[in-house]
Amino acid sequence: MGPTLYRKKAPLVAFLLPAFVFLILFLYYPFVQNIINSFSHINGLGAPAQGLNDPWYVNYATLFADPKLRTALGNTVLLTLCTVVFQVGIALILALLVDSIRVGAQLFRTLYFFPIVISATALGLMFNLIFLYNGGMLNQLLVNLGIAAENIDWKDPDHFLFTMFAPVMWQYVGFYFVILVTGLNNISQDLYEAAALDGCTGFKRVRYVTLPLLRNVLCTCLVLAITGALKVFDLPWVMFGAGMPQDQGWLTGTYMYDQTFNRGNVDYGSTIAILIVVLGVLFSNIANRVFKPRDDI
Amino acid sequence: MKKNRLLALALAGALTMGLLAGCGGGGGGGQTGGSGTPGGGDKSNSGGQPSASVELNVVTSYGGDDGNRKQYEAAVASYEAATGNKIMDASATSNEEWKAKVLTDFQTGTEPDVLFFFTNADAEPFVSAGKVVDIATIRASYPDYADNMRDSMLAVAQDGKNYAVPSSGFWENMFVNTKVLADCGVAVPGPDYTWDQFLADCETIKAKGYAPIACSLFEVPHYWFEFCVMNNGTLEGQLDIPASADDAVGQKWAAGLNDIKDLYEKGYFPVNTLTATDAETVDLFAVGEAAFLIDGSWKVNYFVDNFGDQLSDYAISYVPAKGQRKASEAIGGISMGYFITKKAWDDPAKQKAAVEFVQHMTSDDVMSTFVTTEVTALKNGASPSGLNPLQQAAADANANITGVIGAVQDTITGEAKADLFANVQNVVTGKMSAEDAVASAIALN
Repeated sequence: MGPTLYRKKAPLVAFLLPAFVFLILFLYYPFVQNIINSFSHINGLGAPAQGLNDPWYVNYATLFADPKLRTALGNTVLLTLCTVVFQVGIALILALLVDSIRVGAQLFRTLYFFPIVISATALGLMFNLIFLYNGGMLNQLLVNLGIAAENIDWKDPDHFLFTMFAPVMWQYVGFYFVILVTGLNNISQDLYEAAALDGCTGFKRVRYVTLPLLRNVLCTCLVLAITGALKVFDLPWVMFGAGMPQDQGWLTGTYMYDQTFNRGNVDYGSTIAILIVVLGVLFSNIANRVFKPRDDI
Repeated sequence: MKKNRLLALALAGALTMGLLAGCGGGGGGGQTGGSGTPGGGDKSNSGGQPSASVELNVVTSYGGDDGNRKQYEAAVASYEAATGNKIMDASATSNEEWKAKVLTDFQTGTEPDVLFFFTNADAEPFVSAGKVVDIATIRASYPDYADNMRDSMLAVAQDGKNYAVPSSGFWENMFVNTKVLADCGVAVPGPDYTWDQFLADCETIKAKGYAPIACSLFEVPHYWFEFCVMNNGTLEGQLDIPASADDAVGQKWAAGLNDIKDLYEKGYFPVNTLTATDAETVDLFAVGEAAFLIDGSWKVNYFVDNFGDQLSDYAISYVPAKGQRKASEAIGGISMGYFITKKAWDDPAKQKAAVEFVQHMTSDDVMSTFVTTEVTALKNGASPSGLNPLQQAAADANANITGVIGAVQDTITGEAKADLFANVQNVVTGKMSAEDAVASAIALN
């Protein structure tokens, strides 16, 4: 061993090569192919392209005229905002509460993290039972407690956003909770003691000591939450399928899946996929700029 | 240093090999070897080679809550016991998503060895791509293949060949909950049931607090579409496809959609018909909260399995008629069968096992466990035993059937069908006209 290990690059290249090949094969090649597909005419998944579209940019023109895509974009942006406010917000509140207790902190960590390890399909089926119109847990509860006079259709146009977003929020709160708790644990107790001597306790301690010191961790959580929200697919798909209710429940991910796999409209599905990537890059860049970690913390 | 370099290269090599190993070997779980040599009809492959311990990948629609699931599982178990082969079953519930997934599997080269699937236009993509083997080719090596079936009832593909060995047929008709009807003072409909009588009955049932019609317009509007189209035309013209929304057939389809819209606006479907699943609305009917349900023969065994102690609460009746159609005219036929894929046929290790499996599943004995009241292509007919009350009710209703025709939805492309049925919810809520929905679907056909 010794310094020669770093002078000779061959072993490093050899170790980097598999991951590089993997990325080329399974990320960059499909991505380039996807761009080509978006300009081609393809009638089924795996079917050969029947030449270029006429005109070649027709799918991109359709993007701007497609009302379902507009709905999907609106819902996805709303989901992203809700993710920032509720997912990270609730995780922050829970992390602050758990950080302030002495007994049972580990138990709460495990409990809040638990939804992450359950598959989205299982969660979707579970929430379907909770929100079921006839005999669902929530409707039974509300009717029996006299809060609602009759069953509520939780998937109708008046309620579907709550029914779709709530499980998504709930599923990932634990993920950000664990990251934030770890960040809180890294704050030195000396600072809290010094603040206490100056009379800074309770909410003031959170406002003037904890939050500023947690800024970088919080920024990371926000960037992860925003980019993650753009890719949400599985849970809404299990619960709502193709655009329920009445084509108002589309997300960019579910709409792309439906076009590609159910409708066989592969070229248009590819175009939507590119839109999702562009949005992802755009949103994550904005998030990175707005929530830029500071080196002085 | 040499040692370090060697170690590094060995580790990197192992990583690369691991990666490539993951990418390679496209055969899938059940592949038991064989170089996949071409020449499916090669007689040297047939008959002589032992097929013991072969794993066959099989996909059928007998998964989920299918009424014949128990019979299917029993038949698979008896095949495995008799041959020592292993069936890797990936069956699911039949719906548009399942059909799309099966077609995708063919297009991506991950098709099963044996497939139980629709024999109509739905199968054309993989039939025309040469991904399944025709019966004549199989019979050249296995002369007794499907010889217990009437050749005249084998489905004919667009190329004029037969590919699928038919299983039991189907009928679609109206199930009624007799308990609900009795509570509402409504008589069980007979073979002369008219649309006007039906509307009056629905009003009575609705006033009593029940949902008159159990149907998820979001998930399965196609049963009502079929009958409403026939109500605006004739049995003979049921399979006509519109060239445009303006021609006579297009107007017939639009009128059918408008009849569904009328039922929706009158409040005869469940409150959540646009957000409920098929399972939810069928359950509504089963537990006595809805009166009428249009469904198929496969649903009979669903009720037997899940509501066996209240079978006398259900009966098979007739879909109300208007215009030239009679209520005794129904949708039915044989629409599914077993396909052997080219992939399995070209695999010397799997060819015989696949043939034996299909022969077993379509033998007279096994078919008699599936067929109760349905159409069958068996030369000797099926011999079902011990019909339960619901099956007997179906048999009684079928005795009065005066005409049967296939479903028109089976003659259009999957993309057109998906578009048409997805737009039913937009038609009934007034977001789209019936004519526009027809035009949109026809443009994709």
